Amino acid sequence: MRTILLTLTLTVVLAFAGSSALGGPNMSIPETDFDFGYVPQQAKVSHYFWLHSTGDSTLVIEKVVPG
Amino acid sequence: MTKRPKIVTNEGPPDKRVSIMAYITKRPDSTYPAVIKPYKLDLTQFGEKVRDEVTFRITNVSDQDLDVSMVAYDGDYFEVELPGTISPGEWGEAKLKLVEEALDKEFEKSFTICVGDELNTRFTVPVKRKLRPSLQQADSDAGAGDKDAP
Repeated sequence: MRTILLTLTLTVVLAFAGSSALGGPNMSIPETDFDFGYVPQQAKVSHYFWLHSTGDSTLVIEKVVPG
Repeated sequence: MTKRPKIVTNEGPPDKRVSIMAYITKRPDSTYPAVIKPYKLDLTQFGEKVRDEVTFRITNVSDQDLDVSMVAYDGDYFEVELPGTISPGEWGEAKLKLVEEALDKEFEKSFTICVGDELNTRFTVPVKRKLRPSLQQADSDAGAGDKDAP
């Protein structure tokens, strides 16, 4: 079976945007795409995505839906 | 293969996504423009001799120089020395060394390199470490168990 285990690690950086006038929580993702290139079949690989909280209230990651 | 997981937050819609792409290869020993051997790195600790580094070979199977560079790795677990430029038909040796904090950990991670051809081809190398008790330690534990037995 042609499967691969991909581990997606999401890391939240709490960046305090003191002068933000966005109102409410806001999230920015500096890097949204990552290309692993060649990956051996049935290997487990991982990559960190950094999520920045850029709003003026607490950002809550409610869930991550595989897609 | 492309996966696009969705991140749901209290920010409200639209939900944001990240995207991961990979070219899954059944034949990692015949990739182009480079071949990495071994294509998976296993630093499982079997005995008392500390296994904290492993070398691997990057062979240039193209007709142009390849300039190997790091794209992403997890510095909490290991450092990687790359060979730099590799001439056509030649190979370069690379070395992965665990950081001290990772010696007593089990993990499955990976790192991604780019070989600097016109397509900026990337390769991701899985890195695994498990901790196995040494035979001497296992014997000792078994002996201790016998002594305590009624």
